[in-house]
Amino acid sequence: MSAHGLVAQLARFAGALRGAGVRVGLSDEIDAAAALKLVDLLDRAEVHRALRIAFKLPRDAWDTFDRLFEEYWDGRRAPRHPALEHALQRERRGPPQWRWDGERVRLELPDEPPHSEGEQPGYSPEAVLRRKPFDQFSASELAAMERLMARLARKLATRRSRRLVPAPARGMVDLRRSFRRALASDGDFLKLARRARPLEEANLVVLYDTSGSMDAYTRVLLAFAFALRRVMKRVEIFAFNTTLVRVTGMIAPAKIPQSLTRLAAGVPDWSGGTRIGGCLSEFVNLYKGTMIDRSTTIVCMSDGLDHGEADLLVGSMRELRARAGKIIWLNPLLGDSRYRPEAAGMRAALPFVDHFGAAHNLASLEGLLRFVG
Amino acid sequence: MNEEIRSMQAEMERLGYIAEPAIATAVYLAKEMQKPLLVEGEAGVGKTEIAKVLARLLSTELIRLQCYEGLDTNTALYEWNYQRQLLRLRIAEREARDPAELEDLIFGREYLLERPLLRAITRREGPAVLLIDEIDRADEGFEAFLLEVLSDFQITIPELGTIRAEHVPRVVLTSNRSREIGDALRRRCLYLYIEHPGFEKELRILRGKVPGVNEQLAQSITRFVQRLRARELRKLPGVAETLDWAQALVRLHRDALDAETVSATLGCLLKDEHDIKATGGEAVEELLAYASARD
Repeated sequence: MSAHGLVAQLARFAGALRGAGVRVGLSDEIDAAAALKLVDLLDRAEVHRALRIAFKLPRDAWDTFDRLFEEYWDGRRAPRHPALEHALQRERRGPPQWRWDGERVRLELPDEPPHSEGEQPGYSPEAVLRRKPFDQFSASELAAMERLMARLARKLATRRSRRLVPAPARGMVDLRRSFRRALASDGDFLKLARRARPLEEANLVVLYDTSGSMDAYTRVLLAFAFALRRVMKRVEIFAFNTTLVRVTGMIAPAKIPQSLTRLAAGVPDWSGGTRIGGCLSEFVNLYKGTMIDRSTTIVCMSDGLDHGEADLLVGSMRELRARAGKIIWLNPLLGDSRYRPEAAGMRAALPFVDHFGAAHNLASLEGLLRFVG
Repeated sequence: MNEEIRSMQAEMERLGYIAEPAIATAVYLAKEMQKPLLVEGEAGVGKTEIAKVLARLLSTELIRLQCYEGLDTNTALYEWNYQRQLLRLRIAEREARDPAELEDLIFGREYLLERPLLRAITRREGPAVLLIDEIDRADEGFEAFLLEVLSDFQITIPELGTIRAEHVPRVVLTSNRSREIGDALRRRCLYLYIEHPGFEKELRILRGKVPGVNEQLAQSITRFVQRLRARELRKLPGVAETLDWAQALVRLHRDALDAETVSATLGCLLKDEHDIKATGGEAVEELLAYASARD
C-alpha cells in the first residue's frame, strides 16, 4: 500500500471509530500514522497493537476497535452507517419496564413513628423536627424543615481542599512568599506569609427515586434538593423511576409546591415503578464524561426496591465508583429497625457505596455531613 | 514483527520483565516517537516496573515523582532552600557586601532544591527516565500543569529565568484509574493498557522471580490465581500478589497446594475482608480441584 493510500485508509478508519462513539482526535490520527511508519506493516497483529496504543484507546473501547479493525484492515470493509451504532446501543438498555409484584407492598412502613422520643416535652421544636419521620410532617412543619435544610445544605456544599493556597494569618508558614515579601524590607521578615487548605465547593449530583414506594419521602427529600440548589453553584438533580429525567432546570428553589407540580408533569410515571439499574446505566452513559469527576459526590436517594437488572446496576455502580469522589446512598427504609437491605437492587449496589445511611428524618440527613465534609 | 520491537522484547525479558508484544510495541513506539507513555491497568500488573526496566535498558537514571492529592509545584518542580539562604544573609550582614552581588549569590543554583521534574529536565548526562507514578491521585489542576511541562520541557523560575531541557526525558505515567485522566493529557501520550497476565505469561514471571519454586507448584499456583481472578471479587490479585504468595509458600516449605495451607496464606492474595470471607472452604476446594487438574 502506498504511503498516501495508507494515510487515507487510516483516516477512514478513524472516521469509523468516531462514528462508533470512540473519541479519536486529529492528533491521534497523526500519532497513529507516525506509529505505522515504525512498525512492520505486514504483521497484522503488530499494526493492531500499534494503532491501539497510538489512538490511546481506553479499555472499554477495545471491543469496538477490534470489530472495526477487522472490517477496515482486512481489505473487506463494509462501511456502516453511524446511526446504526446508536440504534444498537439503545437496544441494549431494553425497553422501560414497570414492575410491580407485591413485594414492594409487603415491606410496609411502621404505623407508629419509630422515633417517638422526639415528641418528649422540653425538646426544642427543631429537635422534634430532626427526629420526626418525613412522612408525618404537616405543611407548616415542612416549611420549618426547609429552613433547616438550607443550613444543612450549605455545610454539605463545601469541603476542605488538600491543596495549600495563600491565606491571611492562618495555616503553615509559606517560606517562598515570606522570602519574596522580605525583599521589600531589606531582608527583614516583618510579616510571615502563610498558606492553608481552602474551602472547596463540592460537585453534587443527586439522583432521586420518585417511584411509588418512595412517595412519602419524595416531597421532603426534594425539598432538600431545592435547598441544595439554592446554596450550591454546581448541583445536578435527576429524578428516576422507569426513566431518567434531568430536573435541575425544573426546580425553582423558592417555590416548592409549584416546582413539584412542574416536576410531576415533566417526569413521566411519577409514583410509578422503579428501574434503578436501567436508569443508572443511562445516567452513566450520558453524563460520565462531563458531570462526574473526583470532586463529585453522588447522592442516590432510593429504597433500592428494584427487581431484576442487578447486572446493569452493578456495572453502573462500578463505573461510578471509578470516577466519582464519593457515593452516598440514602434509604428512607433504613430508619425502620426491622428493615434489612435485602432487595436485589440494594444488595447489588451496596459494595460500591461509601456511606449507606437512613434518610427518614433530618437527623439522619445531618449524619451525612461527616462523609461529605 | 519489526526486528527492533522483537529485540526490545528480548532485552526487557533479559532484565526480568516478561513483556508481551503489546507492551514491547508501546515502549518501542514511545521511545522512537519521543512521546510520554501513559500506562493504565489494575493494581499489581507491573505498570511501575515498565519505567524501571526502561531505565535499566537505557542505562540511565530513573527519576520518580509519586503523585498524591495536594501535590504542588513546590514538591514536584523546585523549591528554594530558604533556611540556607537566610543563613547566608545573616553571615553576609557582617561582611557588608554589595546587595546585588548578594542577591545573585543566594538565588544561585546551589540554593535551589531540585524536585523530580526539574531534575529530569536538567540532567546533563543524557535523557533520564521520568516516572510519574499514580497520576490519577494528583488533582486535575496538577495534570494541567504537567501538560505544560510535558509539551515544552522547559520550566521558568522567576529568579533564574527559563530552564530548557538538556535532553528530553523519557516519560512514563501510570494510573490506577481511580479517576479518569483528562483527555488533553491522554492525547499527549501514547497509551498502554495492561491486563492481568494469561497463564503462560504469569507462569514465566513466577519462574523468573521466585527461583525457589518447583515446576509443579508454580503451575498449581498460577492455575489457582488465574481461576481466582475469574471470581466476583472486589480486589483481584495482581502479579505482585501471586509472587508474594509463591514466596510465602516457598518459605513454608510447601511443594504442593492443600486446603489448609491455602486458607492460612490467603491473605497474600486477597486483601479485602469481604473477598476473604467470600473465598471460604468450598470455594477453596473448587479452586484447588481446578489448580491440580492436569490438562
